[in-house]
Amino acid sequence: MSESPVVLEMKGITKQFPGVLANDDVDFDLRHGEVHALLGENGAGKSTLMSVLYGLYHQDEGEIVVHGERVRMDSPKDAIGRGIGMVHQHFMLIPVMTVAENIVLAEEPTRAGVFLDLAAARRSVEETARRFNFAIDPEARIENISVGQQQRVEILKALYRKADILILDEPTAVLTPQEAKELFAILRGLVADGMSIIFISHKLNEVLEIADRITVLRRGKKIETLPAAGATEAGLASLMVGREVLLRVEKGPAQPGEPLLEVDELGVLDDRELPAVRGVTFQVRSGEIVGIAGVDGNGQTELVEALTGLRGVESGRFSVAGRDVTHAGTHRILDAGLGHIPEDRHRRGLVLDFTLAENIALHDFDRAPNSRFGWLRPGRLVARARELLAEFDVRGGGPETLAKSLSGGNQQKVVVAREVGNDPKVLVAAQPTRGLDVGAIEFVHRRLVEERDQGRAVLLVSLELEEVLSLSDRILVMYEGELVAEFGPEVTEEECGIAMLGGGQEEASAA
Amino acid sequence: MTTAPTVHPPAAPDPGEESAAGTLARWHRTGGLVAPVITALLAFLVGGLVVLATGSNPIDVYKGIWNGAGLEWFYDVGSNQVGLPFSDATVWFPWDTSSASAENLQQTLILWTTLVLTGLAVAFAFRCGLFNIGGQGQYFVGAYFAIWVGSSFAGMNSALHITLAVVVAALAGAAWAGIAGILKATTGAHEVISTIMLNWIAYYTGLYLFGQGGPLQNDLQPFSPTSNEVVDGARLPVFWGDPLLQGLHMGMFLAFAALVAFWIIINRTTLGYEVRAVGFSPDAARYGGISVARNYFLAMAISGVFAGMAGAVDMLGWRFSIGFSDIQSSSIGFVGIAVALLGRNTALGVGLAALVFAALGNGTAARNIPPEVFDIPEQAGNLSLTIQALVLLFIGADIVILYLWAKTGQKIGVGRRSPL
Amino acid sequence: MSVGAATVEREGISTDTVARVLAWGGGGLGVLAFWLALPPVTARNVVVPLMVGGLGVIAGAAALRLGVGRRVGMLAISVAVLGALLGWLATRSNIESLEQVFVWSVLLAATLRAATPLACAALGGIFSERSGVVNIGLEGMLLMGAFFGFLGADKLGSWWWGLICGVLAGACLAAVHAFVSIHLRADQIVSGTAVNFLALGITGYFFIEVYTDQGTSDVDFTPTFTIPWLHKVDFFGAAIGDMNVLIWITLALVVISHIAIFHTSIGLRLRSVGEHPKAADTLGISVYGVRYAAVILSGALAGLGGVYLTNGITHSFSENLSAGRGFIALAAVIFGRWRPYGAFAACLIFGFTEALALRLPGAYGEDAAWTTLFRALPYVVTLVVVAGVVGRSIPPAADGKPYVKQ
Repeated sequence: MSESPVVLEMKGITKQFPGVLANDDVDFDLRHGEVHALLGENGAGKSTLMSVLYGLYHQDEGEIVVHGERVRMDSPKDAIGRGIGMVHQHFMLIPVMTVAENIVLAEEPTRAGVFLDLAAARRSVEETARRFNFAIDPEARIENISVGQQQRVEILKALYRKADILILDEPTAVLTPQEAKELFAILRGLVADGMSIIFISHKLNEVLEIADRITVLRRGKKIETLPAAGATEAGLASLMVGREVLLRVEKGPAQPGEPLLEVDELGVLDDRELPAVRGVTFQVRSGEIVGIAGVDGNGQTELVEALTGLRGVESGRFSVAGRDVTHAGTHRILDAGLGHIPEDRHRRGLVLDFTLAENIALHDFDRAPNSRFGWLRPGRLVARARELLAEFDVRGGGPETLAKSLSGGNQQKVVVAREVGNDPKVLVAAQPTRGLDVGAIEFVHRRLVEERDQGRAVLLVSLELEEVLSLSDRILVMYEGELVAEFGPEVTEEECGIAMLGGGQEEASAA
Repeated sequence: MTTAPTVHPPAAPDPGEESAAGTLARWHRTGGLVAPVITALLAFLVGGLVVLATGSNPIDVYKGIWNGAGLEWFYDVGSNQVGLPFSDATVWFPWDTSSASAENLQQTLILWTTLVLTGLAVAFAFRCGLFNIGGQGQYFVGAYFAIWVGSSFAGMNSALHITLAVVVAALAGAAWAGIAGILKATTGAHEVISTIMLNWIAYYTGLYLFGQGGPLQNDLQPFSPTSNEVVDGARLPVFWGDPLLQGLHMGMFLAFAALVAFWIIINRTTLGYEVRAVGFSPDAARYGGISVARNYFLAMAISGVFAGMAGAVDMLGWRFSIGFSDIQSSSIGFVGIAVALLGRNTALGVGLAALVFAALGNGTAARNIPPEVFDIPEQAGNLSLTIQALVLLFIGADIVILYLWAKTGQKIGVGRRSPL
Repeated sequence: MSVGAATVEREGISTDTVARVLAWGGGGLGVLAFWLALPPVTARNVVVPLMVGGLGVIAGAAALRLGVGRRVGMLAISVAVLGALLGWLATRSNIESLEQVFVWSVLLAATLRAATPLACAALGGIFSERSGVVNIGLEGMLLMGAFFGFLGADKLGSWWWGLICGVLAGACLAAVHAFVSIHLRADQIVSGTAVNFLALGITGYFFIEVYTDQGTSDVDFTPTFTIPWLHKVDFFGAAIGDMNVLIWITLALVVISHIAIFHTSIGLRLRSVGEHPKAADTLGISVYGVRYAAVILSGALAGLGGVYLTNGITHSFSENLSAGRGFIALAAVIFGRWRPYGAFAACLIFGFTEALALRLPGAYGEDAAWTTLFRALPYVVTLVVVAGVVGRSIPPAADGKPYVKQ
């Protein structure tokens, strides 16, 4: 493997964005028939490097050599023309169009040069799929197929355009452990067929499993390129971060008390008026962290929205600290003692154009002492904010700073500060660490455990299985709107993964 | 049966996405006072080019407009006498309060009064993220009710009569705007289309009411498509100038009060907090327990109050009746849009922007333009329209200003995360 | 492998379909209730429209209970009630007036005439929004086409020149909107509104410059296209036998637009840009290019509609001639779910209300002030449509959001 020819070289790539040096003199090469992993934490520069390769950005300095030829990538068209295909982390698929339409877009087969030949498109897609052993329905609409299948459509897009270099950006972020295994099998098949693959990830175990070589990036610089054989998780982690990293959160045993959140046969509909949560029953007691694991799209989002009043409840009930708040509306649920660290801090947690003081008052601006009879008192808002910002060590500004000026980690700290500062009895944390760097993740995790130890009931809903496993005292698995399993903290990823897929599913080969 | 999964994990924060209110607020905060001034200057510059293109001299035109607006009154300082209110004594005053330019200034301020109110109507809704183009219709509705109340109840106490007319007009405007607010809150109907439709409905309703054979048509003149006249007791008292020649009326103080009220509501009440939150981010507001629907309705209703008052102030202050041709030629609600946007939807901004447009509007009024500048007086009105449009265009393109700003080395949008 | 929607499939027809049919039936019965009271049937007994309308209400209510969407059900019931009401009003009116107004062949011709400018603008709106750019400026582009079409035909001597000038004028205005919205990433609604003001100012200015002393005279207007053999059939002769060339062109454009959007590769790319511009970008499609083209095309089409307004119908120009038609066209786009055939159907409905409103004063006398009120009908209908329909129709996913090219 190490003797096969180099198909791609990136030399001295530098890319600057306002305020951030995303890539700093990075070298990278790819050999024929290998899987080369690009490893680094959020913000290390992996996606930027590949976006430069794919023509989405243009580098400030450095050159790209493909199949021995120096090239200039001005747009994805150039990259595609050179045989490079990219499967993005956030899929570039059009939900309302069919698989075939998505695959042939921009290179459509036509009659008389103008009219779409959908029959020919369907045939092409079936042929390519057959060649690589995928099973896919060309006439299905993207919004109706599963995430794993959508990813295969993305891969097919590249294959249809005769790519021989494939870039995959965090492909397993949306897959269950089983689906990830299927993906790896597909990748090995492609490699055997002559493809060269670049695999971007921040997950150590996967990288060790699939890659032949690993390149580690940290803060825009290339740290090292090493063969996967002989590398260890701990070793890679410290290369990624530059210091010893706590891979599992340290916490004492839980001391659960009274149930503070009780959910009883809850049923919730999604936006299309289909049942997303069906008859879910569980409790969260004071002093424990309950984690809900599951693949995205199995009802977790709707469950959290229902519990926080952002979505109506179709059937069943739930209560906070003994008060039935099933149809109470957000305001009353918050008053009853529920705190919510939301899934997407930019859309839900913070009003970016408000100051930090105004944001911190988001839940109780209409109560004394922040206001009286509708009259707002800005001085009180600022004073309270100053206290909380100091306690939670928020950097980047003070009470009068606009929320949008802070970094992601500090913004999340503001959200956590506000929620915890309201002294809730129940804390619902949905995806609390998405998009944060390791330092901020550690902070949030530690804080959640601290709140648990203070006697709050913590409900953690996360798509990162590792996070759920390391933090929770009890783990519930959600599949197709129902709770299908309950585990203690010693459960393995495999067992969880099986439950996340509905249980009892045998390993399938490239489906 | 699998529930349809989402296509991809909720996307990383997209730097391109921003509400209209957020964009304008961002410009307000980073541009301060400079950006609106630049916008206005640019608009006047291009307007001047248009004038040049049709063969007239822009300098003469703008000078004519300036004088027509009465702005020369401020630097025409001399030694004059002015009468004190409620007495016959006179006192020394640096300005001549009865010169021709004084009269022009009075007219400008009368226009300013109405523009402040229609501007606030747009500005308040904008703070909540709503584009209220219905100011014209709300103005009409307020005017109709003001005329109706003002021309009835002939023997009523003056202060009571005026208050009643203004209040009724304000409520009518609120209701008219509230329709659009309710539609947006319950069905999500876009307020641009619904308010424009309501404008036209108000327009035709007016033609119906005051036209030949209409229910509110003038009782004394059955062949004239106008309304009854406002009785003396309901007319706003004039405090500067000759009442017989449309002097400046007390409505001006109402406009000032409205500006103050606007600032207080937006910045010092919980309602204002909610309105701003919804304007910047309806999702975050909802999450915080704020009812977005309720605020959409309230914001539109309050906007309607301002616009309705504008109608009342015009009817009770100087028009005293409304007719077919008045309705067909009225466009004050639309100028209010330019006022609000130039004024960045703030109280101070609206006050100043209203002055700019009042001066422009009055300065280009047919009677004020010397004939050598514009041979056809109506053209001045079209120039004014064009400049308004340019202001809107340049404001919408705040990116231009910010781009230029950035090129000179200032830091913009601190903390924008790079798309890694 | 495709996973379908969650309707319960039973043997035979599903409840969903039955509910849909009932809702459509309810609306249809409402229309029937009104029609029965009009010539040629002219039922005079008030029970007829009330009963038929009542049946319509029952059908709509049944549809609601069977699970059809709330908005569809409410729309069906409202149409039934409205039909009954109008039918009742018709029975109260005298027959001669009714017969004067409701000459169906003439009404149809008037409807087509009224619908044409709307349809042109609506087609433009569809192209623009399908590419992801909201075009509130259709009104202004219509106005530009109206004035410059007239001016062109007058000064340059033939109706062809008028057509070209009008279309170009609309396209130029659209180019401004495109630049400000796409390149400068301004809020598209503010930009559209500004463009409307600009059109008002420009057309008003030049109108007064050129025409105050002269008045408009002897302009070569777009010809009517007479089909002689059609006149042998009474109804069709009066209805479509003498239609203006531009109406025929518009009808052709509706069909061409449908084919272009849904059956060509260009149409596929257009739709992809409107749904997911980033995806299109990563495949090498020029998002900016497609959007520019779509917006400028929408201006050209709206301009064409404007040309028809002056050169085809009124044969003159006055300030703000467009009178809100651009916005009605936008409502038609939404009502027609961003599809040419649907939007055209909506334009026909709006055109019908306008045609009706214009015929009333002739039959009921100039003194009947309420006929003025009827002129507000198109706007009321638009309001109801926008309120009732919007929530359930889904625009192109990226509609209205500026695309930031990294």
